[in-house]
Amino acid sequence: MDTFFQQLANGLTIGSIYALVALGYTMVYGVLKLINFAHGALVAASAFIGLTIYATIMGESSSLLAVIAIFALVAAATACLGILLERFAYRPLRQAPRLSAVVSALGASLILQNGIMLVWGPQMRIFPQLVPQVYWNIGGVVISLLQVIILLLSVLLMAALYFFIEKTRMGAAIRASAIDQDAARLMGINVNRVITLIFVIGSSLGAIGGLFIGLYYRGITFEMGWQYGLYAFIAAIIGGIGNIPGAMLGGLLLGLFTAFISGYISSTWADAFTFLLLILILIVRPTGLLGERVAQKV
Amino acid sequence: MKSKIRPLLAAACATALGFGIAGAETLKVGVQAPITGSYANEGQGIDNATRLLAEQINENGGVLGRQIEVVTCDDEGTAMAAAICGKELVNEGVAMVIGSYTSTCAEAAQKTYYDAGVIQTSDGTADGLTEKGYWTFLRNSFPNSAEAIFAADYMINEKGYEKIVVISDFSSYATGLAESTIDELEKIGGNVVSYKKIKADSQNFTPVLTSIRAMNPDAIFFAGYYTDGGQLRAQQVQLGIDADFIGGDANDNPDFVKLAGSAAEGAFIINVPTPQMLPYDVAEEFLADYEAEFGKLPPSIWTLMNADGMRAIVYAMEQTGSFDTKEAVDYLHAMTEPMPGITGPLQFASDGNRIGSSYMTFEILEDGSYDVVYAQ
Repeated sequence: MDTFFQQLANGLTIGSIYALVALGYTMVYGVLKLINFAHGALVAASAFIGLTIYATIMGESSSLLAVIAIFALVAAATACLGILLERFAYRPLRQAPRLSAVVSALGASLILQNGIMLVWGPQMRIFPQLVPQVYWNIGGVVISLLQVIILLLSVLLMAALYFFIEKTRMGAAIRASAIDQDAARLMGINVNRVITLIFVIGSSLGAIGGLFIGLYYRGITFEMGWQYGLYAFIAAIIGGIGNIPGAMLGGLLLGLFTAFISGYISSTWADAFTFLLLILILIVRPTGLLGERVAQKV
Repeated sequence: MKSKIRPLLAAACATALGFGIAGAETLKVGVQAPITGSYANEGQGIDNATRLLAEQINENGGVLGRQIEVVTCDDEGTAMAAAICGKELVNEGVAMVIGSYTSTCAEAAQKTYYDAGVIQTSDGTADGLTEKGYWTFLRNSFPNSAEAIFAADYMINEKGYEKIVVISDFSSYATGLAESTIDELEKIGGNVVSYKKIKADSQNFTPVLTSIRAMNPDAIFFAGYYTDGGQLRAQQVQLGIDADFIGGDANDNPDFVKLAGSAAEGAFIINVPTPQMLPYDVAEEFLADYEAEFGKLPPSIWTLMNADGMRAIVYAMEQTGSFDTKEAVDYLHAMTEPMPGITGPLQFASDGNRIGSSYMTFEILEDGSYDVVYAQ
């Protein structure tokens, strides 16, 4: 039984990282109807930015204050990258056919990925051990301090985001822009500002996810954005792309699913089963678990 | 439009040919190594060592009067890129290829070099590399089967483990080492309770480790590479799995210790001696030159193994007085007295295997340094 609960804990940890990254995909899709393929590379970039901030600005200090500062600075820096991305890769193509924007997104992702390689080098870099290795053994289930931090902070961030979207005026503006941009504009909503805000929130959540990947797995490479981006993208689709609680649910489900498949069947088959799950969900519920059926205007 | 492109093309071809002829006076040495990707620091080590050797040889008048020109191709540690590198280097007209680091990549380009008569020397330890009968292949390290015998002997006769779990990834090297180690273990009465495979670079090994934890093993033998090994060790300790971690030779890289962090302490790694332990004068000299040139020591012994491969081929060309690759390889196969190598006496069997081996087990200490706990 402790094996089961251990897998559960493993799955929830990785799942909450997927969920944080998936939110970036889903929010951008919700408003722009665009798959932001550069999001994964942005997540990878955030881990490398964290590495540099740690080494230079923080002077390799790992006090609590320094760790919080690293999180804040990396989120801010990645948000700036997100704004630049939107301004130069997506805004000029806002009126262009959907396909052009997708190609632009892929291009932006390659530029980011190779940019990381040029700045930080092609080899794997090792992320500092910022959180002390403290473990608790609860009836055979071992949980580390880092896992607890990842889980708590993710839940906190997701709850805050949910509150922001559902309960504030700016959140209402985001929801309105997602439904109909022209109508939102007529109601006096600055849609451009909403879109910038979306990129700021999505990128900084992704940045936190990127830092978690660095902290949890220690090794970061310039190509890792592709792998995590793909998984988060699947999570967003499973939950229903464009749907914010859906991305959270999709991420956690995907984390649990891969943990149980690799633990009980074989890690070799984890990817195959993941894509099988994706296909099955798309067949049964084409709009994802929480996605709503939207009639297309022709 | 076409009429405009044709003369341009012709001019380009002529220029390329011109360069080809002008370059005929040099001896081209190819490097096929993972310059980018997960194993980049090993690949860059091989490239650095080859360039350093070439520079030193050129300063002393080159090989039979010809200057060495190094051509590097990045195989990214993937079989696909390696196959392309093979064609590219052959088209460049190289006489020999140093590398690659992984057996998978060496294997992917092996046939291309064989067909072109280009000598290939790799540190790849997969036994399969020398079983194809390609005269062009020279292994500058020792095969997995030799390491498997040592590892099994260490785990059973020295440590007395009763339950052993073996983990590998899907590469030629890792599966080869894992399978031959399991064979050797079973031969001497060892009990392998499980053989698990992981996907290299997938980072999240906790599901596999959790299912291993339920088996209560005494030891985990990991036959893959250091990038996964370091993370595997960290996650093993984090999950509270109280088993000895024994890593195969490809875990011998400073990044293993960095990735595992404080969990590295107490892990064991089996390999031939580290560069700093080499008792030979050639080794001391080469390490000093390497450090002077690049500001750091080579990432691991594999850099030096590949350097030795190149030294052997150059030596053979000088001895035979010809650039004929077949003659050089025949000379190496027939050599009765070993030549002094950086990594010890260098001598090759007629199947391209390097003769002799000396494995040891290192324990990683708290400060990340190695302590030799068992030697052959």
